[in-house]
Amino acid sequence: MRNIIIFLTWIIINIQMANARPVSYPEGWTSMLMNNGDRNALHLHYSPTAKYSIGYKFEYWREDEYSINAIQVNNLLKRWNAKEWQANLYLKSGLGFAHSDKGNFDNEIGIAGFTGIGADWENRRFFTSYENRYTKAGEFDKFYMQSARIGIAPYIGDYGDLHTWLILDAEHKPTAADKFTITPTVRLFKGSHMVETGISDQGDFLFNWVARY
Amino acid sequence: MKKLFTIFTMILILSTSNAYAGKQTIYADVNGLVCDFCAQALTKVFSKKDQVENIDVNLDTKIITINFKEDQILSHEVIEQLITDAGYNVVKIRHSIDTNE
Repeated sequence: MRNIIIFLTWIIINIQMANARPVSYPEGWTSMLMNNGDRNALHLHYSPTAKYSIGYKFEYWREDEYSINAIQVNNLLKRWNAKEWQANLYLKSGLGFAHSDKGNFDNEIGIAGFTGIGADWENRRFFTSYENRYTKAGEFDKFYMQSARIGIAPYIGDYGDLHTWLILDAEHKPTAADKFTITPTVRLFKGSHMVETGISDQGDFLFNWVARY
Repeated sequence: MKKLFTIFTMILILSTSNAYAGKQTIYADVNGLVCDFCAQALTKVFSKKDQVENIDVNLDTKIITINFKEDQILSHEVIEQLITDAGYNVVKIRHSIDTNE
């Protein structure tokens, strides 16, 4: 366990992340479906320019039994383009309502908000990413979380080919019963669609789907 | 002699104008092309332009090839702006003319 914590810490400190990009090309639409051991989420966004996107975010946090409906804005703060690699820095924020189904909060509604940064670096063989977020959901919940990813492509495909990535996904949520979650993940990516699936060290299923239009 | 010179001149002018007719191709060296999403972004952006017949993105060479419709073209400035607005950096734009069409 100690080695795992050291490895996670190393990832979090040294690695800057990326995966499904929160900002698309000008006038591009993106739909993201994200499911893991903690939550189910849907994010639909539109990018007027390559600098920001605006959209709808839904999340359901299963353990605490509440949902968030929010307007989310993602800003591309900085992009570095090099011949063989690209890196990005994002600010992702949302504001909306939370609705609880649990215990004393049953059927209560409160203001919800979240904000955090995301960063990524990638070339055609490797990628790394990091993101964090502070969330407040009415009076039901408030938490900080961060996650990091490192990925490798076993082969390099051409434009239009089926691309495969092997990814190690690490998530840290200090207020959770299980503070660290590691999820080996496989990403398949072809055309406008990307699918990720994996099983965490706690036996939870991860499934993400992203499509761009 | 004057007739011959006139005919020769006309042939030369016609040949020259033919050389600039036809479909044109522009090549752009672009930084930041690391994945299919990048390639898609540029494909979508250029496909919306009426002048563009098709576009090819080579992730190995980082070169995009823009093929234009008959007698259609976009200026280098416009091409650079479109690529920049899509979130990428232009290194170089080269121009060639395909006379085989």
